[in-house]
Amino acid sequence: MEIKFILNGKEVSTITEPSLRLLDLLREKFDLTGTKEGCGVGECGACTVLMNGKAVNSCLVLAAQVNDSEILTIEGIAKGDELHPLQKNFLLNGAVQCGFCSPGMVLSSYALLEENPNPTEEEIKDAIAGNLCRCTGYKQIIDAVKQTAKELKMEVKA
Amino acid sequence: MIDIMCEVLTPENLTDALQLLAKADSTTKILAGGTDVVVGKTQGSKRFADTVTLIDINRIEELKGIFEKDGMISIGAATTFSEICKSKLVEEKLPLLKKASSTIGSLQIRNRATIAGNFVNNAPCADTVPALLVYDASIEIKSQAATRNISLQEFLQGPYKTQLQQGELVTRILVPTPKQNYAGDFYKLGRRRAVAISRLTLAVLILLNGKEIADIKIASGAVTPIGKRFPKLEEFAKGKVMTDNLLRDLSKKMGEEVLAVTGLRWSSDYKLPVVQQMFYQLLKGIER
Repeated sequence: MEIKFILNGKEVSTITEPSLRLLDLLREKFDLTGTKEGCGVGECGACTVLMNGKAVNSCLVLAAQVNDSEILTIEGIAKGDELHPLQKNFLLNGAVQCGFCSPGMVLSSYALLEENPNPTEEEIKDAIAGNLCRCTGYKQIIDAVKQTAKELKMEVKA
Repeated sequence: MIDIMCEVLTPENLTDALQLLAKADSTTKILAGGTDVVVGKTQGSKRFADTVTLIDINRIEELKGIFEKDGMISIGAATTFSEICKSKLVEEKLPLLKKASSTIGSLQIRNRATIAGNFVNNAPCADTVPALLVYDASIEIKSQAATRNISLQEFLQGPYKTQLQQGELVTRILVPTPKQNYAGDFYKLGRRRAVAISRLTLAVLILLNGKEIADIKIASGAVTPIGKRFPKLEEFAKGKVMTDNLLRDLSKKMGEEVLAVTGLRWSSDYKLPVVQQMFYQLLKGIER
């Protein structure tokens, strides 16, 4: 079937099998390999992307369901060569080790800050509870999200 | 690369969906959040071995939204748990449903998984079932030919068995707006806090008249083969004064009732005291 959707801000269309997973559609048809496959059953969050602004597991969404929607992947949040503040702060806080969870972590955090620019630590933990990290642990990641929230708030003020 | 090899139909309204369902046989399944169907397909679950067609109900406006009408709170079958968690109406009138919904999976799961999807396969671990049961929820089921309403308890026949017939679709969940000021709580025990399959869930609603229990509703999930109410225990508690001794007595009886339903299992030595302690703490919390 032919599907049309907005991918990282650009309108795209492609011919696809309707029951291909969004994860595979992104990686195989659009070469967006930043979205990772971990468990493939919706438990680890490595394949998290934003669908209409909400964090979803792309391993559980089928291509046919993506038609007419808006998808944001990790490749879509930097402005050209300039990293998104979340990406920058993940690096500054040592929140990236092997990096496999990072795209999902960043996108879950991105969705959180879009909806709640001033999250508490509990709210941050809840937002990333569906993203597993087996390397750095979560403290550095939470710190990175906190620092980003602070910076974005200052930006709004300034 | 995984293609679950199904035809995916995406009707835009209820009439079209029911028409597709009327023509379908048992190889067609409803798809909403995909947290059960897509996982089942990719994992090769027997439950979906014959499934070759999926009807995606996400675009159907009639299956969405939460509103109050004629003393009933109506929740669309394809309403996601995130939408339920954000609903002021649910927060105010059905706090146990909000609490149960917020314990489900992760945010990614709650953003996709739907309330009807939670019980329509009647998995014993469905977290919203005990909450819906204490609120006396019923469900609206439609087919091309007819509409029928049935209580949730009746709908849930046995583990992974429901009253849903070929060609039928759960369209809405209907909960009578609680008129009086019930106090209550929901408790979930899983192996960890997030993305955990429930081991035990309990929901309790109590209407107090001073210190006297004027009404009580008790339901379990996960710990019993299917979510269920406890009418015998409810009757026993009604009219009694809420003393610590009564709560201990109720908790002991609750454990015995659960054991009577499940039979003695290898895990009973562990689960029995946990059920009793959980139930006691729930009641204690409500008393305060």
